[in-house]
Amino acid sequence: MNMLKTVIGKELLELSRDRKTLALTLFMSPLILLVLIFGLGKMVEKKVENLSDKPLEIAIVGAERAPNLVKWLATQGVERKQVADPDAAIRAQDEDVYLRISETFGEKWAKGEPALVEIVHDSTRRDAEIAVKRLDKILQAYTQQTGALRLVARGINPGVAMPLLIARKDLSTAEQRRATAMAFLPYLLILGGFLGAMAFVIDITAGERERQSLEPLLATPAPRAALVSGKIVAATVIGMITLLLTLLSFKLGAQLAGGFAKMMDVSLLAMVKMLLVLVPIVLIGNALLTLIASGAKSVKEAQSYMSLLMLLPMLPTIFLLVNPVKNQLWMFAVPFLSQNQLLLKILRGETVLPLEWLVYFSAGLGLVALLWFGAVWRYRQEKLAISG
Amino acid sequence: MIAAEHLRKTFPGKGKHAAPVIAVDDVSLVARDGQITGLLGPNGAGKTTTMRMLYTLMQPETGRVLVDGIDTAGDAAAVRRSLGVLPDARGVYKRLTARENIRYFGELHGIPRAEIDARTARLAAALQMEDFLDRQTEGFSQGQRTKTAIARALVHDPKNVILDEPTNGLDVMTTRGLRGFLRQLRDEGRCVVFSSHIMQEVAALCDRIVIIANGRVMAEGTPDELRERAGIDNLEDAFVRLIGSEEGLHA
Repeated sequence: MNMLKTVIGKELLELSRDRKTLALTLFMSPLILLVLIFGLGKMVEKKVENLSDKPLEIAIVGAERAPNLVKWLATQGVERKQVADPDAAIRAQDEDVYLRISETFGEKWAKGEPALVEIVHDSTRRDAEIAVKRLDKILQAYTQQTGALRLVARGINPGVAMPLLIARKDLSTAEQRRATAMAFLPYLLILGGFLGAMAFVIDITAGERERQSLEPLLATPAPRAALVSGKIVAATVIGMITLLLTLLSFKLGAQLAGGFAKMMDVSLLAMVKMLLVLVPIVLIGNALLTLIASGAKSVKEAQSYMSLLMLLPMLPTIFLLVNPVKNQLWMFAVPFLSQNQLLLKILRGETVLPLEWLVYFSAGLGLVALLWFGAVWRYRQEKLAISG
Repeated sequence: MIAAEHLRKTFPGKGKHAAPVIAVDDVSLVARDGQITGLLGPNGAGKTTTMRMLYTLMQPETGRVLVDGIDTAGDAAAVRRSLGVLPDARGVYKRLTARENIRYFGELHGIPRAEIDARTARLAAALQMEDFLDRQTEGFSQGQRTKTAIARALVHDPKNVILDEPTNGLDVMTTRGLRGFLRQLRDEGRCVVFSSHIMQEVAALCDRIVIIANGRVMAEGTPDELRERAGIDNLEDAFVRLIGSEEGLHA
């Protein structure tokens, strides 16, 4: 126990003298998160504002064929503008959407037949979606209104042509709707917890080996388990401080920024729960990093594994994107996926069941024990001691 | 006392069908308390690997090492407690001061703080390192680093001291000081083992010399015995005769 304290104390003392690494480790991910949430929140807010309240300026090809429609569109906030080659403009992403009124419009309209208008857009452009939907909705309203008038003119109740009245009732809670906007947030939090102390761990494992101070260290009677555990615990202390700062900046960012960020559950209780969810991932990260980096002969070699590790927390997000499934108990045993699901649940304001907590913690801590054991085993290897 | 019996150590060769590299073939030696035992041999003779087996970081494939009668394979921790080791790798923690480096190792040996401080003061005086004791070791000269590494290796007052090429890269004055320090350790009744590829140094310092070449002990004895055995009065010529080459003679 004393040995453990000695190792932890020495590693932290050494880190405290290395201001640059310390600052990078502690403040990098909180700052990035703050900027991201604040920036994204502001951006989304501005975009929604822009597109919903401001007049929609679009090109209308063949406007002269449907003067009434164009006039009506103007009353709905759709203004006409001139664009030389609207198809090219859409491809070049200069325009979001334009309306083409077919050449036979006047003729069909007069006959009372369906007259063709085309909404032209690029479906791969997500930011054009709002404009397209808005235009679509306005045109639907116009066709319904005109259709009803025509029926009335022929002495028919417009209700006859509407066998179904379709309405939607959304049972999602307000928190749930908000959560869809922040699917990326768990990734950032998990990554922060998982690799937050990366530079530090590499420095005290592969770095120690590279600087040739490992051989004298291993020649002391200190048990290898104490040396390794001291390193992992020291890294976990740093990781937890980083995590705490990250969550604080998350709270701050969510409160400062408007838009979707304002709608997340960032109460104190939710913060504590998120911290609880992220504790195992900090431990898993540091034990895994220690296991990998201690096998590397140099800091450079250790760093080359890190890009791969960055991908790991992304896997569940990708998996869920390809195959959206409903929460099941086994998911809480899978690292990264479980954190992802739990964090989303908490951010959405749902309760996590005791059984889910149990499965989560036994699986997570079990994995930690396994990795920890692996790291100790690595330090017992003969070849580890030899740096040259 | 350190006794090694028929040590052998091979490493797997690089590549799939490469033959294993024999680092140490058959080395037996005895280093007694109150004596300085020198391991002399050209570069690549297997000195460092032999030393590593002596200080428990490597397991010999055959044979065994006894330190004060304890087998290194049986109770490595007990052996490490009675050993002070200056390994080939002598990295010190750059962001800690020399004193903190020494203290860390003292604590890893489980020594109380007050005793560490007292030992540090004594070692610092003996090694003449008082003027840089409280400086961070970043930017230390080779000699200052070596002194720090030696002090931290001896902070627990070990009965047996193993030093791998301690004078490597040191200037004349520092080397002289270090020799005095090693003699002092001997006069305190410790068992001192050190390796070197420099014949003159071994001749000046050792009570017993073990000459190693190609992973085998070529000769063993006091400097006088070796001269006698080679039938040459000059130790340098005797060394050349015994290892069968002039390699490592002028370093």
